[in-house]
Amino acid sequence: MSTEPRKLLAVFAHPDDESFICGGTLAKYASSGVEITLVSATRGEMGRRMGNPPYLNRETMAEARELELREACKCLGISQLHFFDIRDKTVEFADPDQLADRIAGLIKEVDPDVILTFHEQWGGHPDHCAIGKSTVEALERTGMKKALYYISFGDSLAYPESFGYTREDISQINVSKFKKAKLAAFRAHRCQTEIDEWVWLPDKQAMNRFGDYEYFIKGNEEALRRDRNDLF
Amino acid sequence: MNPIDRSEVEDLLRIYIGEEIYIHSEATSYVFVRNFRVKLMQAFVAGEGPFRIAFRFDQIGWLRMEALTHVEEDRVGRLLLAGYDDRGRMNVALHLGKEPFPE
Repeated sequence: MSTEPRKLLAVFAHPDDESFICGGTLAKYASSGVEITLVSATRGEMGRRMGNPPYLNRETMAEARELELREACKCLGISQLHFFDIRDKTVEFADPDQLADRIAGLIKEVDPDVILTFHEQWGGHPDHCAIGKSTVEALERTGMKKALYYISFGDSLAYPESFGYTREDISQINVSKFKKAKLAAFRAHRCQTEIDEWVWLPDKQAMNRFGDYEYFIKGNEEALRRDRNDLF
Repeated sequence: MNPIDRSEVEDLLRIYIGEEIYIHSEATSYVFVRNFRVKLMQAFVAGEGPFRIAFRFDQIGWLRMEALTHVEEDRVGRLLLAGYDDRGRMNVALHLGKEPFPE
């Protein structure tokens, strides 16, 4: 039996995507020994929230958000972090061929069992959609058989029919025991969350805001073969 | 960043008059330009806060912005102006530097 740890590669666009969208799932798998590699294509340096009251400006933001992301990675148990150094809000204008090549190189290097990224259409932000599209292309280029999933916001996929999916297309991960780690990661992204009063309520009250499940769309045949309650 | 004092900002802008400078300008939710290289000929500050700022360039051209609330001269000598709302969200930014801003 192989002793090689299970591995997960998450390819996202901004610092905080990993925490705000699927932080519970990442914390859960990390705690069970999965090695997690995270890509943040940008440093989120064009964000609008500058702390509350504001203590950042456009030129100090990249460094601050990088530090916050490193802290959030510790909260969630993410061991490897890569930046692609693309300017925030310009991922969709990056050369798609080069971007896909770069991600493909990382897929080969990491050799993950599971890949998470954004849905090309429902990513919710142009940077998200662009990095998702390139990640799908990258996996195709490697020819490797890896389970690919699209992350989703909140409970929107609890009833997948309204998005044209069936239950079989969706994975739901129970994160009820990992809300504390998720909350810590939210708080690590301080300049983005200071504006949200609920994040800073006593832990128990704040954690009530989190659902018990995070939902993922199965993005390929490999993913469709997996159990509904587990990405691996 | 510190709340804008109009006469202080006028003094700080005067340093850039007649110089070839790099500008970062943004209306955060809509547009940004980074590293526009211009020769600044005139700089105006108006309003009682939030403030309006306008530049005229060598030969031809204007840049006008409003909603500016804060200012800072950073450690490397760049002049950073920004407009925040009452919850710390950036509405606008206007930065001047004698060297290019990191892409």
